[in-house]
Amino acid sequence: MNQFTFEGSQKRLFLGMMVLGVICMASTFLFDDDALHTRFWTNFLHNSVYFTGIAFVLLFFYAASTLAYAGWFVNFKRVFEAYTQFLWVGLGLMLVIIAGMWMHAHHLYHWTDESLLDPNSPNYDVVVAGKSGFINKYWYTFGTILFVGTWAFCATKLRQLSVDEDNNPNPEYSQYVSFKKYAAFFMFFGAFTSAAMIWQWVMSIDVHWYSTMFAWYATASFLVAGLALVIATLIYLKSKGYYESVLPDHFHDLGKYIFGFSIFWTYLWFDQFMLIWYVNNGEETVYFQERFNNYSFLFYANIAINFVLPFLILMRNSVKRKAGIMMFAAIVLFFGHWLDFFQMIKPGAYITAQEALAHGAGHAGDAAHAAAEHGGIVMGFTIPGLLELGTFIGFLGLFLYLGFNQLAKASLEPKNDPYLGEALHHEVI
Amino acid sequence: MKSQNKEIFYGLYDDDEDLMKAVKAANKDHLEIYDVYTPFPVHGLDHIMHFSESRLHIAGFVFGAMGTLTAFLFMTWVFTRDWPIIFGGKPYWSVPAFIPITFELTVLFASIGMVVSYYIVNGMGFGVENPTLDDRITDDKFCIAFQTNGYSDDQINQLSNFFQSTGASETSSKVI
Repeated sequence: MNQFTFEGSQKRLFLGMMVLGVICMASTFLFDDDALHTRFWTNFLHNSVYFTGIAFVLLFFYAASTLAYAGWFVNFKRVFEAYTQFLWVGLGLMLVIIAGMWMHAHHLYHWTDESLLDPNSPNYDVVVAGKSGFINKYWYTFGTILFVGTWAFCATKLRQLSVDEDNNPNPEYSQYVSFKKYAAFFMFFGAFTSAAMIWQWVMSIDVHWYSTMFAWYATASFLVAGLALVIATLIYLKSKGYYESVLPDHFHDLGKYIFGFSIFWTYLWFDQFMLIWYVNNGEETVYFQERFNNYSFLFYANIAINFVLPFLILMRNSVKRKAGIMMFAAIVLFFGHWLDFFQMIKPGAYITAQEALAHGAGHAGDAAHAAAEHGGIVMGFTIPGLLELGTFIGFLGLFLYLGFNQLAKASLEPKNDPYLGEALHHEVI
Repeated sequence: MKSQNKEIFYGLYDDDEDLMKAVKAANKDHLEIYDVYTPFPVHGLDHIMHFSESRLHIAGFVFGAMGTLTAFLFMTWVFTRDWPIIFGGKPYWSVPAFIPITFELTVLFASIGMVVSYYIVNGMGFGVENPTLDDRITDDKFCIAFQTNGYSDDQINQLSNFFQSTGASETSSKVI
């Protein structure tokens, strides 16, 4: 079967997940939230960033592999193409955050407070003022629109060229040649702009703090999660009788990728921590102090789920070739990196909100002061509650619905890709 | 390690596809192959020759674990018992600072240990002479070799017939 049909039962499942997500988001907004709706907005930002990032990094992986003359994955390249189309939706989701920022509907980012930049104001914050050339509403808005819009354009263009290759083959492989040009542009453009977007979307929540490794660390998280999703999708599609050409050897290589990039993620996670720990500079350690004191379970669970588990599970050769255990590892990692982003976003946003609620939206104290104020378990902030999980399931339903919808629009296996033969005869051991 | 000389009867093939077919045919006729030599790795060959999985990675894991323990325990001993020094106000036993070195020694022990194990197990190394059946098996010929010590003429004939029927371009015998 080379043509995927998006069955009614799958549609109903994904729509049900979306409905659950909407119900959870609505009840977060209405019943279980503070006056600034911080829990709702942080959940929205968390999931929007997570799924947009996954779509971005899959496009990056696709472009990079093609540019590197990799042929092994082209028999299932449609899965990459289908998921990367989510970038348009991701742009829409981020526009909601942007609209909320301009309308003062949320208080996710401390730096949106204008009085921090006024030297005559009692709120004047020299650190935030110094960063205001980049960390400001205009950059956030136009950066997101321009950069994510360009990524989404590249995703659409690469998809069009790939499908056109099926329908209008020619001996010059003109679509493939053109594909490489767009892929090369995207590699260059995406590599720089993704870092800028992660600084704006995620790192600027802790606006006094910065880490030069943060963009890499977040991107590695996206990559592991994205490839885990691809593995889970392929195993599911194989169980439905599609993709007979996807062999254990393909899973072996994908497994090596998530194994390797889990180690890479750990390397960045640890280095970011160790350098800050060693230098012991107050304005840097505050980030980890907050996580040690109020997020200690998540902080250590993060390293256990995203490093220890994949390291031990995926180490052996034969494991990467078995569908059942790969599915387990993929689901664990997909959820694990969601937790990773949870503890990147929630602590800073919670402190900002507590400050704003305590002293009115105009005043700000130092983060350490706020950290000392709250303690214990705060559902939805220091630990994900059921509403967070429901929101996550809702976004996942949206992502999968759109992905499967795209998957049904073209043949599952490309027909005229120049590397198809290599992919069909892929052999690892 | 000079043991008994091996009498080898071997055939050369021009193509790896022919070689694969011949190995399959030999399996079917229950001929016991001594070894197969190819100028480059042929995919699937180890599978049809029923090689068991290499145990080199187990050696790698053991050496790596040795490296981990060596580095970690040594630094622990030095900085808590032998010569405690305070660095940057940190405790004597400051684990995060040990991790990079522990990692490096793990990689070093695993890689050197695996190379040495590989050389010893395969009888390779400095000053060891390894006889070559034919120089061309390092260039463009694919070779199947049978050990024929104590074989009767009938068995040798059976091997010649086997080489002929599977398309070997030439056959020869050699004592190594």
